[in-house]
Amino acid sequence: MKRRYIKYTAVSLLGMSSVFVSCKKSFLQLNPKGEFSESSYYSTPDQAFAGLVAAYDPLLTETGGNDQTYTDVRGPLNAASDDCYAGGGGSSDTPDWQLWNDYQLTSSAGPQNGYWPINFLGVSRANTILSKIAGVPGLSSALASRYTAEAQFLRAHYYFDLERLFKNVPLITAPLAPADIYNQVQAKPADVYSQIENDLKAAIPNLPQTVITSESGRVTQGAAIALLGKVYLYEQKYTLAAQEFAIINGTPGGTTPGFGYALQASFPAIFSPDNKFNSESIFEINFTPSQAYTWNNWDSFKGSVYSEMIGPRNFGDAIYAGGWGFNPITQQLHDAFTTPYYGGGVKDPRYGYTILNMDSLAALEHTTYQGSYENTGFFMLKYAPLTKYLSTQGTNILNFPNDYIEIRLADTYLMEAEALVQGGGDASRAAALINAVRARVGLAPVAATLANIKAERRLELATEGHRWFDLVRWGDAPATLAFKGFKAGTNELLPIPLTDLAATKLVQNPGYAK
Amino acid sequence: MRKTITILFIFLLSGISVALAQNITVKGTVVDKTGTALPGVTVTLKATTIGTQTDANGHFSINVPVNGTLRFTFVGYNAQEVAVNNQMVINVTLQENTTDLNEVVVIGYGTQKKATAAGAIATVGANDLKDQQVLRVDDALEGRAAGVTVTSTSGAPGAAPNVIIRGQNSLGNSSPLYVVDGQIWDDGGYDSINPNDIESLSVLKDASAAIYGSRASNGVVLITTKKGAIGTPKITYNFYYGNQSVTKKVGLADATQYAELRNESVTNDGGTAPFANPSQYGTGTNWQDVIFGNAPIMSNNLAISGGSDKSNYFTSVGYLHQEGVVTPDYSDYKRMNFRVNTSSKPKSWLTYGENFNYAYIRSTTNFNTNSVFGGPLSDALNLDPLTPVVVTNISAQPNASTYTNPNYAPYLFRNAQGQPYGISAYVANEIVNPIADEQKQIGNYNWAHNLQGDAYLQIEPIKGLTIKTDIAAKQSFYGSESFTPLFYENANNSNLPPATNSQYRIMQQNLEWNWDNTATYDRTIGKHHFTVLVGQSSEEESGYDVGDTNYGEPITTEQQASFNFALPQTDRFGFGGDQQPETLSSLFARAHYDYDEKYIIEGIVRRDGSSKFGSDNVYGTFPSILAGWVVTKEDWFPKNTFVDYLKIRGSYGVLGNELALSPFQYTPIVGSIGSYVYGQEGGQTLVTGYGPNSLPNPALKWERDKATDIALDATLFHDLTATIDFYNKASDQLLLSVPPPAYAGVSGSAYENAGGITNKGVEVQLGYIKKFGDFNVHLNGNIAYNKNTVTNLNVLPYIAAGAWQGSNTPQIQRSQVGQAYDSFFGYKEIGIFQTQAQVNAYKDKNGNLFQPNAKPGDYIFQSVTDVGPIGPSDRQFLGSPLPPWTYGFNFAASYKQFDISVFGQGVWGNKLLQEYRRLDLSTANYPISALNAWTPTNTNTNVARLSDNDPNGNYKNLSSALLQSGAYMRIKTIQVGYTLPKNLMTKLDMSRVHVYVSGDNLFTITKYNGFDPEVWGGSNQTGGVDQGVYPTARTIRVGVDVTL
Repeated sequence: MKRRYIKYTAVSLLGMSSVFVSCKKSFLQLNPKGEFSESSYYSTPDQAFAGLVAAYDPLLTETGGNDQTYTDVRGPLNAASDDCYAGGGGSSDTPDWQLWNDYQLTSSAGPQNGYWPINFLGVSRANTILSKIAGVPGLSSALASRYTAEAQFLRAHYYFDLERLFKNVPLITAPLAPADIYNQVQAKPADVYSQIENDLKAAIPNLPQTVITSESGRVTQGAAIALLGKVYLYEQKYTLAAQEFAIINGTPGGTTPGFGYALQASFPAIFSPDNKFNSESIFEINFTPSQAYTWNNWDSFKGSVYSEMIGPRNFGDAIYAGGWGFNPITQQLHDAFTTPYYGGGVKDPRYGYTILNMDSLAALEHTTYQGSYENTGFFMLKYAPLTKYLSTQGTNILNFPNDYIEIRLADTYLMEAEALVQGGGDASRAAALINAVRARVGLAPVAATLANIKAERRLELATEGHRWFDLVRWGDAPATLAFKGFKAGTNELLPIPLTDLAATKLVQNPGYAK
Repeated sequence: MRKTITILFIFLLSGISVALAQNITVKGTVVDKTGTALPGVTVTLKATTIGTQTDANGHFSINVPVNGTLRFTFVGYNAQEVAVNNQMVINVTLQENTTDLNEVVVIGYGTQKKATAAGAIATVGANDLKDQQVLRVDDALEGRAAGVTVTSTSGAPGAAPNVIIRGQNSLGNSSPLYVVDGQIWDDGGYDSINPNDIESLSVLKDASAAIYGSRASNGVVLITTKKGAIGTPKITYNFYYGNQSVTKKVGLADATQYAELRNESVTNDGGTAPFANPSQYGTGTNWQDVIFGNAPIMSNNLAISGGSDKSNYFTSVGYLHQEGVVTPDYSDYKRMNFRVNTSSKPKSWLTYGENFNYAYIRSTTNFNTNSVFGGPLSDALNLDPLTPVVVTNISAQPNASTYTNPNYAPYLFRNAQGQPYGISAYVANEIVNPIADEQKQIGNYNWAHNLQGDAYLQIEPIKGLTIKTDIAAKQSFYGSESFTPLFYENANNSNLPPATNSQYRIMQQNLEWNWDNTATYDRTIGKHHFTVLVGQSSEEESGYDVGDTNYGEPITTEQQASFNFALPQTDRFGFGGDQQPETLSSLFARAHYDYDEKYIIEGIVRRDGSSKFGSDNVYGTFPSILAGWVVTKEDWFPKNTFVDYLKIRGSYGVLGNELALSPFQYTPIVGSIGSYVYGQEGGQTLVTGYGPNSLPNPALKWERDKATDIALDATLFHDLTATIDFYNKASDQLLLSVPPPAYAGVSGSAYENAGGITNKGVEVQLGYIKKFGDFNVHLNGNIAYNKNTVTNLNVLPYIAAGAWQGSNTPQIQRSQVGQAYDSFFGYKEIGIFQTQAQVNAYKDKNGNLFQPNAKPGDYIFQSVTDVGPIGPSDRQFLGSPLPPWTYGFNFAASYKQFDISVFGQGVWGNKLLQEYRRLDLSTANYPISALNAWTPTNTNTNVARLSDNDPNGNYKNLSSALLQSGAYMRIKTIQVGYTLPKNLMTKLDMSRVHVYVSGDNLFTITKYNGFDPEVWGGSNQTGGVDQGVYPTARTIRVGVDVTL
């Protein structure tokens, strides 16, 4: 009995094992938690929209890139221009900004490590959703064409930034097969521009003129038309540019029929977090104060961290919250306001809504602040961190509500005026456009010369991230940015990131060999 | 039925026959060759489980048949057998076993006699550890086993070290696999094992690890806990109390020096000196004196064990309480352990048992060690010495308005007198007053409940065949608690209205189980001995976490915090997550054959199936072969030479590694990627985007490691044992996370089996035991050399690693073919420019200056490209953070009642980068070496000039000038003990009382000028980068070990 019992035990033990072994196939096949297999995804309209949202996401990237540093679209561009310095805690604080500020960019270090990957991330996500929309069951044709148009706009937007910053980029318009990744070569800039134009032209008819409040932040027809105009302007296709801008701008100083665009009566109201998506906003990046972000959310901030970055260090009063002292405003910009190009010897009225003179504020209040690196005493007001906007949850300095209006009506007025002047168009309309911008802040008219338009752009759009692009496309950068070390023939472009030159067929931009 | 009766009858008869055979009580004494009584010697009746143990005086008494044979066994001594032959008194002298060849080593799913082992297996026994302060099981390996590199990641109580066996051999994860009493454990938390419960540690370093197949290539650490022995119950109590202090403070500028250095740096850049009359500031605050303190440590351990021939038990309770030397008031680690190990043998063919461990750990670990982003160490290193710890006169402060500002004043941290703690007027960002910050940490702690163990059933249906089923599991519950009040520490660190206080709680759980079924057949026929093992194993790991953050509780202090407060739902932030599950299903076998313990051959094969791999490659097979030849057993081998024993052995195997891979990399997965905000205030919604989150690779396979080992085991001059291993581990098909070019636009990296790393090395382990009269000497030493070379990175020219806040080229380490893993990569410094003429003369053949931004006093960097100006392509390899040489040594001696032991270890050949000073904060405090910076009047120096802008990158470029040797030799423990005399023990009815004084980490010989040359981990998770590591404490302990 004993022996038999042992044998039974042995057999049953081995039997249990073999049962286990025989069902091991299913034991080893697990489903991921909180994720989907790609073959089963994109099967509902909601999933199609989630795919589109993924393509929107890189528009608002404050931290990221190859090097996980601060890459807000405004910060490095402001640091590179004559509007601001990099600033911050010291000459090594956020080196990407410092290196652009000093024009000490190398292939391995600089803001290219942020901008290049972020924009290509956007391109790839737009490509993905564009390749999926047609096969989504239950997606109405209206929604399908709107989603397609939004993705086309986003792809054009990302490629436009890539083209302006890097010029020589691979043109990828469909999801890349793994085998093709290393075979990409840089496209001709004209081909990239033509792709951008085609995307925008295809998108425009399928986008809504206006969106309901809950959809604020979604791409509109106006945004696409304005972007197309801007693309033409950069391509120096002035007549085409003016045509597009005219659709948006309507009668200078009036309200554009259909779109409802009109200049805000009050200049500071344009930037107020209490007045988001106002009548002047054409394309606005939407920030939220409500997500209670903490440092743990480094890769996903959607609150305005840039506001915190530009605040004065070690400061805080009833109005202004402190910050980290980045992007101090240059004496040059300050002087452009205090001795305006149009003469008169009085400060431009926009000064007080653009520049905060901290030294005089601190003296007035008998408080102190800590001068940041390259401190000038002048701080940015358009996105300033205000005490009343400090969030109540999360790390409050990471949750400011300030939006970034990337294209606004005053900008398209001035771009149309410029296109008209450069392209020999309607000079009186050009004058009406620039003077509508000036009249809003109570300034007398000026003549619509190219010089005046350039100077007006600087004052109206100071610190909004356009200045560096403007200087480069006008060819003014070498002279104007000489004080920062700008090298003509090289610094018009950013270097291609070193990480993307390894094992690929890409070639470095001129002057950045090392 | 009849058969049963027959069997029963035969049983009865045999019982009677045993009873009929005459039994006598045999008494005697067991001594060693010096005549010293040996307590605890196991005395058994041969071929039975009847047995006893000698008492404190070496006496034993046992009732046995007159014709039986007694077997005397004792660790460290040769077993001896004596036929009873009607003798009433048997006195035995045991001979010390200097070769330890009868020792049994644990080899995974079984044990093996060391004499017949052919693998490279290092063992560390309880005896090796008893004189050392071992707080964690993985720390126990440091300096003990040749080829095992253990590097402390932090001296904070409870911190886990980094363990690498025979070199970094994966680009992902090089951690060994831990197996505790058969329970497979690969996800950390090893501190829940009480080191006092450890019987032995076996480290499988070569192809012998192949029995663990797909997880063997990083080596396997087998931990066996203590079991009860046959005999009277044994009670041991160990206690020690110690005081810990910091071994070293680093040289930093004092207040006057700081002001002078700031002036020097700013004026070097053409600015105006910020500090008039620096000497007015005196010495200022020494922030290191502020954060470091003395910290007590106490350990209590009680174990009771015993057993009979039918069952045995071991049970223990332990309590460890350790404070840390960094801000001791809020540095606290408590561990409570409870263990029960039992086994029973109710039938001669049936054994069952269990090993169970429960541990509760409560710790404060918020020291942010080895990080430049704040925490007490980073604060002390970077905060200016001008700022006072406590402000007694606010109006005298340069930033007086900070203290008086009505928005801040109510929220400043203050001392008991209501005076605010100092807030720096110069250094901000993450750097705050560490004593103020201590108050913010009050009430924050981590906790863990760990339940871990196994239960098994084993039958022996026929002689030699053992069938065993063993279910093992580890269930961990762990989490943390914290409270954030309203506070103001500096402009970057505050929580002010309209923000609110918040309470945070997270609870996590993790379950890892494995069920192993094995059959082992062990048989000796004449001189032929063979063992065959076949087995099957299944394993699963899963887990989840949930947590909550409450904002705006109607309270002000941590003591009042509670989740019970009714709050609006908008102020309650719940969260949770699931761990991606993993499963493994495996078959394995091992066949061992030896002839007369002379010729040994062994084969191992394991086939693993894993949920981490695609349908093409679910299974991987890992074979290995081992062989040994005991030369001295040959008849022709000359006798009576100095060579007493010589074994040549070798092994070759294919070992796998899957720890490096995250789940579901083989299949296209759509997950959440990013988000975007739509809508306006009041109606804003954050919508989550979904998309493919990485490039799948359906062809993914296991990492493979071809491991070869050739070795000699020898005993020379009777007393000297030596083991020399030569090995070559060539890993190919390493799981390489290949970041695609950024233009591909995927955020995640694709895995490929494309990497290769080779580790070649030599390990020498020596042991010497000798007795000179009353004087016993025991010497042990090991030294290992490992050469690590990256051999393949597929398309990648290199993999960059490391991050250096504020540097020009933040990634300072590189893995590149032909170089060691993660070697430092930067400029080679070849001197300091003394004159502008020298700068102007340093140019390439086209006349381009190599360093156009340089000024006298700046470092000269070597050009690699011979093209000016010097840029990133002029960087070169500057050394490895992983030490090629590691060694350890142990000396133990006893004379009569006195004993002494010395244990030390060290490394040699590695480089360290000290990143204490925040580069992005030009006002951060300076290391004392800055006083020797180049100035026109101090030109004979190797420290470059100071400059905030640093246009030449003296401090912002990684260069050889900034690297230091990481070599060190550390005396880990010196212990002096005294064992109370025997006659006293007899009176007290105790077996042994040993009292001792011990010093741990007494001194370290190193040229490295930081806190501690043992550097690993931190916010970069890299080796060799010191951002202010929590230093290992020096401990002076007094203790007592009592055995009843």
